[in-house]
Amino acid sequence: MSLLRTRGLTKEFGGVTAVDEVDFEIDHGELCALIGPNGAGKTTFFNCLTGSLTPTRGTVEIGGSGSWRDITDAGPDETARAGVHRSYQITNIFSASTVLENVRIAAQAHGRGSLQPWRNVSAFPEHYEEATEILERVGLAGSAERVASTLSHGEKRQLEMAIALAGDPDLLLLDEPAAGVSSESVDDVVDLIEEVSADHAILLVEHNMDLVMDVAERIVVLHQGSVIADDDPAAVRNDERVREAYLGGYGADDPAGGEEVGA
Amino acid sequence: MATDADEADPGEGSGPLGATTDVGGGDPLAGEPWYRRYLWDHRVHAAVVVLFALYPFAYSGLTEAMPATMTTLLPGITVMVGVLYFGLFAMSFDFVSGYTGYLDFGHAAFYGIGAYFVILVANDKVPLLDPSTPFMFSLVIAGLLAALVALVIGAVSFRLTGVYFAMITLGFAQVIYVLMSNWDYLGDNPRSGIAVNTSMHPEGFEVGVPFVDALNMQIASANFVGETLSTELAGHVIALSAPEVSYFMIGLVVGFCYFAMQRVIHSPFGKVMIAIRENEERAEAIGYDTFKYKMGAFAISAFFAAVGGALFAGYRRSVDPDNSLFFLVAGDALLAAIIGGFGTLAGALFGFLFFEFLGELLANNFVSRGGESVPDGLLPYLRDVLGEGTLSTTLFGDVTVRTVLDVLFNGRAELYIGVLFVLFVLYVPNGILGTLRLWLGGTVAKKLPERIGSRLRGGQADPGPPDD
Repeated sequence: MSLLRTRGLTKEFGGVTAVDEVDFEIDHGELCALIGPNGAGKTTFFNCLTGSLTPTRGTVEIGGSGSWRDITDAGPDETARAGVHRSYQITNIFSASTVLENVRIAAQAHGRGSLQPWRNVSAFPEHYEEATEILERVGLAGSAERVASTLSHGEKRQLEMAIALAGDPDLLLLDEPAAGVSSESVDDVVDLIEEVSADHAILLVEHNMDLVMDVAERIVVLHQGSVIADDDPAAVRNDERVREAYLGGYGADDPAGGEEVGA
Repeated sequence: MATDADEADPGEGSGPLGATTDVGGGDPLAGEPWYRRYLWDHRVHAAVVVLFALYPFAYSGLTEAMPATMTTLLPGITVMVGVLYFGLFAMSFDFVSGYTGYLDFGHAAFYGIGAYFVILVANDKVPLLDPSTPFMFSLVIAGLLAALVALVIGAVSFRLTGVYFAMITLGFAQVIYVLMSNWDYLGDNPRSGIAVNTSMHPEGFEVGVPFVDALNMQIASANFVGETLSTELAGHVIALSAPEVSYFMIGLVVGFCYFAMQRVIHSPFGKVMIAIRENEERAEAIGYDTFKYKMGAFAISAFFAAVGGALFAGYRRSVDPDNSLFFLVAGDALLAAIIGGFGTLAGALFGFLFFEFLGELLANNFVSRGGESVPDGLLPYLRDVLGEGTLSTTLFGDVTVRTVLDVLFNGRAELYIGVLFVLFVLYVPNGILGTLRLWLGGTVAKKLPERIGSRLRGGQADPGPPDD
């Protein structure tokens, strides 16, 4: 049984069909990338998975111990508690709090204490421990006490990932983790994604083709709301429909290419 | 209270003032009993409580020594009682608006509910509750009722955000205001308010532990209604007037409420409130049902707002729609919270204190002190000090010094407070306490002792146990 699946997932905005009958499945431990040209419906699909948007038709289900749990109508908070976490394309953190508190509050959402207003927050050291561990993992341990708004853009992207990691999600949805990251820092992002994928399933939306080809084990291509390809990177790269729809000149016979097509 | 605080506060220079404990960090009080540690962690709070407790004595001492100057400068005890109960209301406003970021312009509704409820209970207007119900009981029930109303208002209002939330809460409050202004059942002339039935309650309401006579004191603004106290301590007679007794008893309740709210702010629940203020979308995305938390915060804040209102009405023994339910009452709380520091809790009370201090300074009154009429306010004080000769001096044309003083100070308190508010919003956007926190780099309770400690030891800040 896989981790999460959608059946006939459709989202319509008025007359526009942003996501069109998508059947998608992701398994434990998979690192899957979701690509497609601008307006292909990637973000809408993402938002349907996390509950930010309610799909017009179709279902989203989480695989549990032997049975499927329907989370189609669940809100973002329920989806998160069910083990599906996301990071944001545009940095979305708690700016006035410290880096540690950003991650601690996320850890607390999955632990005890949130509804005990008479207890002091320090009575729950496990939230601090988890946050500190995650900060070490993403490489922000040295900045734990800094106020989040004072971080550099690259560090904010790391924090974005750290918040999503808190609470040990089953599935991590990463929305353009390398957005706005300088080309020399992209390697750090790649390292981090690969490191995190060791113990989490990841669904990645990314425009940087090099990064996608580098890390993804499987690529799903959306075009006008529909899935037009779902295969390993080499096969997707050679798929005639994909090249037509999206990749342009980027192909197997062009090993160095791709930069121009990136964004 | 004073002895506890003495223990907590070793005083400047009497011992090494160490850093407070960090989470999981070096703990200078490991092995000490929990209450010692609690007081040590809260020594700044204890010091503030002591300052408030000493104020009435300092006030009477100073005004006796320098009647005109000190009466003009310092707010009187009746004003300070107002600072306490309205400060509690302002803090409850800050609790929901400063910490979750949702501006509740209708917060006066809860203050009014608390105020009306205790008086209606005393006047036998509330079914099931006997007029002899102890004041402390009706105060708590008033709080619970306000929390219930908050859940109803919140269930509708928290569907909205930003300015729409502010407007809908304001709307609810105005509905309650109009209702209470016109409901004949409340009293003969509901538009001008209701008062405690003096034949049923000839004495002031008792604040303290219900049914334990020794632990109760009456609150009232007038000596012939309330309780006065005269006791001898180490050869000195300590006499407290009814407002002074009220000041201490109301202060106890307000202090208790402040620490309760602070406890919530420092709990995991309070951290979620702050997360909602910082970024509600993300708070939801990491797994918090933010609606539930906002409702909880709103109900807690309404409870304490109603307690503030109940103390206000219990002390004044009357209430009218315009001094409790009117939306500008919430406006005063907003002003106090912004001047004191939005999202700092205690700041709201200090903001209101600052306000009242200015208002008193710019007042134009005379009070009687020891059989003599003493100026209370800058204008009568200046007239008194300058004397008739200077006052009638002509500056130019027929403009005398007296005219200038009148133009500058007569009834101008609100003008200056308005100007000051504008200056605060522009140049001190974090308010008094917020700016102090920024300057210290943390909360005052935590950082101030560290600062003083490192100053005393010549710039070295190492944690050490209290020296006693």
